[in-house]
Amino acid sequence: MFMLTSEVLQVPFDISTLTALFWVGFILITFFYQTRLQSYLALNDISRGLNKLGVMKDKARKEAIDYLVTVGKAPNDPTQRVDQFLDYVTIMPVDTDPSGIMPKIDHVVTTNNERVRAEVGALLSSQGGQANPVTVSIGENLLEVATSLNQIHKIVRHFYLLGKKTNSYFTLIQLQMLMPMIIQEADALLNAVDSFKMGQPVGDGIGPVVVSRYMQGKEKRVIAKDTVMAITEYKGRKLYVLKADGPMAYVGQPGVAIKKVIEEMGVKPSAIVMIDAALKLEGEKTGEIAEGVGAAIGGIGVEKFQIEDAATTEKVPLYAILVKQRILEAITVMRKEIAEAADKVTQVLNRVIEEKTKEGDDVLVAGIGNTLGVAQ
Amino acid sequence: MSQVPGTDKKTKLLVYTIEECPACGQKTKRAFAVGDYVTKDGAKCTKCSNQTQISLVYAESSKPSR
Repeated sequence: MFMLTSEVLQVPFDISTLTALFWVGFILITFFYQTRLQSYLALNDISRGLNKLGVMKDKARKEAIDYLVTVGKAPNDPTQRVDQFLDYVTIMPVDTDPSGIMPKIDHVVTTNNERVRAEVGALLSSQGGQANPVTVSIGENLLEVATSLNQIHKIVRHFYLLGKKTNSYFTLIQLQMLMPMIIQEADALLNAVDSFKMGQPVGDGIGPVVVSRYMQGKEKRVIAKDTVMAITEYKGRKLYVLKADGPMAYVGQPGVAIKKVIEEMGVKPSAIVMIDAALKLEGEKTGEIAEGVGAAIGGIGVEKFQIEDAATTEKVPLYAILVKQRILEAITVMRKEIAEAADKVTQVLNRVIEEKTKEGDDVLVAGIGNTLGVAQ
Repeated sequence: MSQVPGTDKKTKLLVYTIEECPACGQKTKRAFAVGDYVTKDGAKCTKCSNQTQISLVYAESSKPSR
C-alpha cells in the first residue's frame, strides 16, 4: 500500500522516510526556535492580561468620576482634573545616605496626602461651601485606587513593550510568571471600589471596630491628623484608646498620636497594644487571630518607625493582636468571619491588658486600619 | 440590598447591618443601607424599646456554606 502510494505520487521515497524527515525537521525547529516560540506564547499571554488591566483601570477611573459627579455633586466636570491626577507622581527622597530618611519620607507622604485631600475637596465644594468629609475621604480612596491601577497598567505595558522590542525572552517569561499575581492584586483593588462607594467597613477596619467599643460614650479629642483618642478605664487600668477618625475612610497618624501621648502628654504606659489586620498565608483561615510582639502596622514604614522609636526610648513593651485575611478581604467589605472575630479580639485584648499590666498602670491601645464606616 | 462580587466571582455577597441594644443585648440583623456605620443609632429595640446601636456591618455569601 505504502509502496503503491509512492509509486502513484511519483516520489522517490516512501511514507516512513517522510515521517522521519518530519521528525528531524520538527526537532531542528524546536531546537533552534524554542525560545522564540515561547516568547510568542508569553507575548500572547501578557497581551491578554494587559487588556484585562486596561479594562480595570478604565473602569476604576470611570467609577471615580461618576462618584464625584453623582454623590459628590461636583459643580464642574471633574474628568480633566481626574486624568491629571492619575499621572501625578510622588518622588521619594534619596536613600543612598539612609540616616534621617524617615522624617523626609514622612514629609513627602504628608505633602502628597494633603494635596490629594485639597484637590478632592476643591473638586467637590461649590464656591465657598465645604464638602462632606466622608464624601471627600471616599473620593480620595477612589482616586487612589484609580491611580494604583493606572500605575500597574503602565508598568506592565512598559515591560511588555520593552520585551517585545528587544525580543528579550527572560523579560517576557518573568512578566508572564508574575501576571497572575498582578491580575489578582488589580482585581482586589477594583473590587474595593464598590465597598468604598457604599461607605461600608472594610476588612482592614477590624482594629477600629474593636477599639470603637472602648471609646463609646467617652469624650474624644483629636490627637493627631485624622486621629482621635479617648481615655477610659478597664479593671483599674487607665486606657488611652486611639483610632482614625471615623466613619471617614481615614487611616490617621497613629505614630504621631502615640509619640504625642508619650512625649508631649508625659504618659508612661506599661504597654502599647496594637490591633490590626494582617495578610494571611495560603492555608490559614480568614478571621484567625494571632498574638505577638512588635508594632502591628503596615504602610510605608513611617508610622511603624515612630511607634518603635517612642516605645524603645521609653522601654514600653509593644504587643500585637492580628486578624488574618486575604488582600481582597482587607480592602473590600468586611466578611462575616472577620466581623465575628471582633468579640474574640476584645477578649484577647482584655486578657493581654490583665496579664501584662497591673492596677493603676497606664495602657495605650491603638486600633490600626482604614476606619471607613466605623465611627467611635 | 447591597451586593458585591464574592471572592470567586460566582458568589455574590450580601451586606448586613447588625443593630444591638445596649440595655438587653438583643441583636437585629437587617440589610445594609447607605449611610449605615458602626456606632450609629439604630431603630428602637423590639424587646425593651431602648435605642439600639449599629455594632457591625458585614458581608456574607448568598450561597449557603457547605
